Amino acid sequence: MWTNDSRRHFLRHSALGLGWLAAMDLAAEPPESASAGPLAARPAPLPATAKRVIHLFMQGGPSQMDTFDPKPALNRLDGQRPPASFGSVDFQNGQFHELTLMGSQRTFSRHGKSGLAVSDLFPHVAKRVDDIAVIRSNYHQGFTHSQAQFLIHNGWPRIGHPSLGSWVLYGLGTENQNLPGFVVLLQGGVRSGPEVYGEGFLPARYQGTSFRPGPDPILYLNPPEDMTRAHQRDLLTTLRTLNESHLRERNHDSELAARLESYELAFRMQMSAPEATDISGESAATKRLYGLDNPVSADFGGRCLLARRLVERGVRFVQVWSGNGQNAIDWDGHVECDRNHLDRAAETDQAVAGLLLDLKSRGMLDSTLVIWGGEFGRTPTSDGGRGRTGGRDHNPYGFTLWMAGGGVRGGRVIGSTDELGLRAEADPVHLNDLHASILALLGLDHERLTYRHLGRPMRLTDVGGSTWLADRLREA
Amino acid sequence: MTRASAWPLAAWACLPAVLWAAPPESLARSARQVLELHCVECHGKARTSGLDLRTRESALQGGARGSAIVPGDPSSSLLLDAVLGVGQLKMPPGSTTLPEAAIETLKSWIDAGAQWADSEGPPGQSQWWAFKKPARPEAPSFTDDSWVRTPVDAFVLARLRERGLEPAPAASRRTLVRRAYLDLHGLPPSPEEVDRFLQDESPDAYEALVDRLLESERYGERWGRYWLDLVRYADTSGFETDHFYTAAWRYRDYVIESFNQDKPFTVFVQEQVAADELWPTDTDLEGTLQLPSRKQENVKRRIGTSLFTLGAFPIEYTFYGDLYRAEWRAEAIDMLGAAFLGLTLECARCHDHKSDPISQRDYYSLTAFFAGSVEQEIPLGSIYDVQTSTRRFPLLEQARVLKRMAKEASKDISESERSEMLERLGAAYLRAPDPYPSAKVLGHEERVPATYVLGHGDFRQRGERVEPSFPAALPGGLAIEEPETDLFVPRRRAALAKWLTSPGQPLLGRVMVNRIWQHHFGHGIVRTPSDFGRQGEPPTHPELLDWLAVEFAERGWSVKEMHRLIMASSTFRSASVASTEAVERDPGNLFLGRMNRRRLDADALRDSILAVSGKLNLKMGGVGVIPPLTGEEILAARMPYLWPANPDPAEHNRRSIYLQAKRSMAVPMLQIFDAPDTARSCSRRETSTVAPQALAMLNSQFVLEKADSFASRLREEAGEAPEQQVRAAWLAALGRPPDGSELQTAVDYLNRNSLPRLCLMLFNTNEFIYVD
Repeated sequence: MWTNDSRRHFLRHSALGLGWLAAMDLAAEPPESASAGPLAARPAPLPATAKRVIHLFMQGGPSQMDTFDPKPALNRLDGQRPPASFGSVDFQNGQFHELTLMGSQRTFSRHGKSGLAVSDLFPHVAKRVDDIAVIRSNYHQGFTHSQAQFLIHNGWPRIGHPSLGSWVLYGLGTENQNLPGFVVLLQGGVRSGPEVYGEGFLPARYQGTSFRPGPDPILYLNPPEDMTRAHQRDLLTTLRTLNESHLRERNHDSELAARLESYELAFRMQMSAPEATDISGESAATKRLYGLDNPVSADFGGRCLLARRLVERGVRFVQVWSGNGQNAIDWDGHVECDRNHLDRAAETDQAVAGLLLDLKSRGMLDSTLVIWGGEFGRTPTSDGGRGRTGGRDHNPYGFTLWMAGGGVRGGRVIGSTDELGLRAEADPVHLNDLHASILALLGLDHERLTYRHLGRPMRLTDVGGSTWLADRLREA
Repeated sequence: MTRASAWPLAAWACLPAVLWAAPPESLARSARQVLELHCVECHGKARTSGLDLRTRESALQGGARGSAIVPGDPSSSLLLDAVLGVGQLKMPPGSTTLPEAAIETLKSWIDAGAQWADSEGPPGQSQWWAFKKPARPEAPSFTDDSWVRTPVDAFVLARLRERGLEPAPAASRRTLVRRAYLDLHGLPPSPEEVDRFLQDESPDAYEALVDRLLESERYGERWGRYWLDLVRYADTSGFETDHFYTAAWRYRDYVIESFNQDKPFTVFVQEQVAADELWPTDTDLEGTLQLPSRKQENVKRRIGTSLFTLGAFPIEYTFYGDLYRAEWRAEAIDMLGAAFLGLTLECARCHDHKSDPISQRDYYSLTAFFAGSVEQEIPLGSIYDVQTSTRRFPLLEQARVLKRMAKEASKDISESERSEMLERLGAAYLRAPDPYPSAKVLGHEERVPATYVLGHGDFRQRGERVEPSFPAALPGGLAIEEPETDLFVPRRRAALAKWLTSPGQPLLGRVMVNRIWQHHFGHGIVRTPSDFGRQGEPPTHPELLDWLAVEFAERGWSVKEMHRLIMASSTFRSASVASTEAVERDPGNLFLGRMNRRRLDADALRDSILAVSGKLNLKMGGVGVIPPLTGEEILAARMPYLWPANPDPAEHNRRSIYLQAKRSMAVPMLQIFDAPDTARSCSRRETSTVAPQALAMLNSQFVLEKADSFASRLREEAGEAPEQQVRAAWLAALGRPPDGSELQTAVDYLNRNSLPRLCLMLFNTNEFIYVD
């Protein structure tokens, strides 16, 4: 196959050499070949307002009508069957028309100069609404967690496709070669499995690297206790001596040489990763900003602070997960949704607001795109599962995400759902449009960011996608 | 003796002395294919810029910019400038460029006079090379070239000479024995095995080595692995529930055994597609307690059909019968297309294939072969076994009740009461009956549902009704006659199996020999091994591919014969090191002037570490082993308690193919080294080079423990003298003694550090991780 590696190799070694290069339309080339190393940072091919991404992923799916999408009509019809004019859709547990409408117990009020409506779940985030664009009209087809998580992260309802972060890394490289370019900060388990932040059919170097809590953030990062740094240097230097004579006898094979280099990078990563994850040098005020002084919010807050430290050090894409994949400890409010969301909000509200403020005060918010949301929203009806009281089921037909920073003009709402919050109505945002627009904010053309697989050039957006949302998000 | 050494060298030397001169007919054909695939859409009927590349005359005449081709002079040919993008013109327009191999083809073809393969007729759908039955091409002949051992070499040398290249020298015997072991077993040779080969001075020492390796059961474990990659084998469904396919391992064992038995490839294919229809089983015991062995054999064949019961499926597909059927059949056909036919059929699920002559109708007509088929659980023993196992059923019920009581009581009882209860529970389970052996296979449902073309692949968008039929573009399809009712036992998969393996089937053999070649050389002759369509790369050696495909059929579809044939060649026995000039002139080694150096894949690397450490457990078969993972390794698992490590430590050291393949949670050590994701057919594993691999090889508990074991083994074998330890370590890990400076470096290191550290370092050398 005409892989990018073989292309690069061919270019470097081709007798045609520079003539070939000069004649090529570089902007249209697969992004890897334009630079020295496959992960080296590259300028975006199109005008970019965002340079990096922090995706705050609310696993389980937060309810739109209890957070950022107030529905007075729903509150009015609480306890009744849905009006016939709404028709029906399938949920995981039952069908819309057979279920009972359930109003929100939250109170919404207007905030900021923009007067944007936020529920009382998020008093801290509410103070930052002038930086936030709320998108209320997202939709897709996946009404179970794993399909929906694959859709949101990978664009397809199944394993085998690269995660958004992998595509971005493939397109732009990363600015710090001593840290992974795509880092995932989990709370625990992942409902759809780790493939959701995997590289799919891209080379493994584009995979999301899960940083673990504690002093050993990367898998296998730390040597065994009895191996000091001096021991390790000795081992690596001796290994290099052996490998170099092996290499000399083998036409200086570039792949062998790359493996030698990968050991040096690993050695550097052992220093740089713990440095990046060590928050002991952060001021008390900063820690308070992220809610680290409160045991309820300290876990998620710590990961948000870590996300800021990572993007500060040049990491291209960071996912921060809220929720560990168990119903009681993520946003999957099938039972007592309100109680569930109060708990999750208490864990996350202050840190999310703190992250936005911290990025802003460091002058980084303008170039850092922050995305908040789950894999879908929740139903306006109570959950159809037996014995589930006060719960809301999954709703992929209309749900809310928000974005801030990275060129997004805040203090506004894009799109809407119907009066019950069931389906996306005005300016519906198809999943492909969402992904195309995120890439557009980063200066990447979703139609040209391709990789050859299964006999055709594959994209994050399949054969769809439009960047209208990016235009709307940016417009003054 | 039928193996490749039967190609007598003397006979080669006696062939008529025709020097290689004119380009083969197939070069013209390849060039036409490149033009047809990349150029004639605009420069054909449409005559963009006045250029028509459909005939030699019109191509020579050229268009608005003058002649496109100057026969014999590629550097003056506008066509070549355009595809290289060296002049003002770059073709094709836009971001795409031609594959390296395609440009080479055009260059060679113009160089050789740009002859036109007019006998091919006008380009039409079924004219695609891969859709035509391979005919045996005549091998080029050479005078006085002792390098040519077999026709394989003749084909390779002819292409090399066309480019003015010469093959690299032969690999040393030490290199060769290591290469042979890692190729056929995925394990390095032990020092004794290396010695045995080095000291065997008989003329057929090498052939005997290959035979030995093919007779070992390690062979099936290595080559079965490649097949399991192709058919996306795993033990669980993936997705949120990730439910277990409890008997999937029987299919894994069936594959290993099939390779070890050297089952004819056509039979292997037929069994997997339609064993139940082609070799019907009955369970009449014929007066005995055991199923007669002939019937037992047919039951075993049926395990082959398990292939279609172990794909990656979210449980929600089962919410709607039609959704489930649509997804299941589509998955079956996509996998079958990729693995058996080397075609990307899935493109045609939603629309007619953009580049290959497979229509959406063809696609659903293919899925119709699976209509009426369903997954079914069958007992593998006799009816007698099944029935007698129920005799002890009440004991199982007793155990269940005790389990419930233990669960309910566990909070409020004392430690002694608790242990007594657990003791009773354990005793009850010990007496309870084991489930009788069973497997999940394909069978039939009562009625054969109609098949429809589905708009966008959506089960709700039913279009035209279709019957099972073969794609029109592929030869050999016969009409299928069925009764006018939906109440009948279909024989559709039998028809599909026969079509796949029919003598006129152009793809099956070519695709499989290309895979065999690929796993010996690192690349196939077609470098897109599961895409022989127009989007795939053209073969670098079309005649060789066809010659091998014909040989494969004539040698009874014996895969082991193909290993013997390929491994006997000088091409296979070449060194991986070549002159700097040769490497510069063919950097991608398209023309096989040398052996490709290959990184060990995840399985071979883990198995090699185990073997060298002396801990490898060669037990075969059975339920997938769950190896222990450390807390940090298991962090991403949604439910870590569903990773219960096997309590027997010896089991942890079994070959990687026997580890449980859980779709939602890969073994990190394997995943880091590019193990396939098992979502779909994988024809070629990536070989990435990333820092986490270095970290895993230096710091993971698995590698550190094996380094300790390796060190203990060395102390036992070589005593305490550092020099002896170093020698023994080199022989065990690399199959050779250290040279003077290596010995010095290693002994100095050992004096500063410990033997386990030296062992760890050896696992990390490129020489250990790559095969030359």
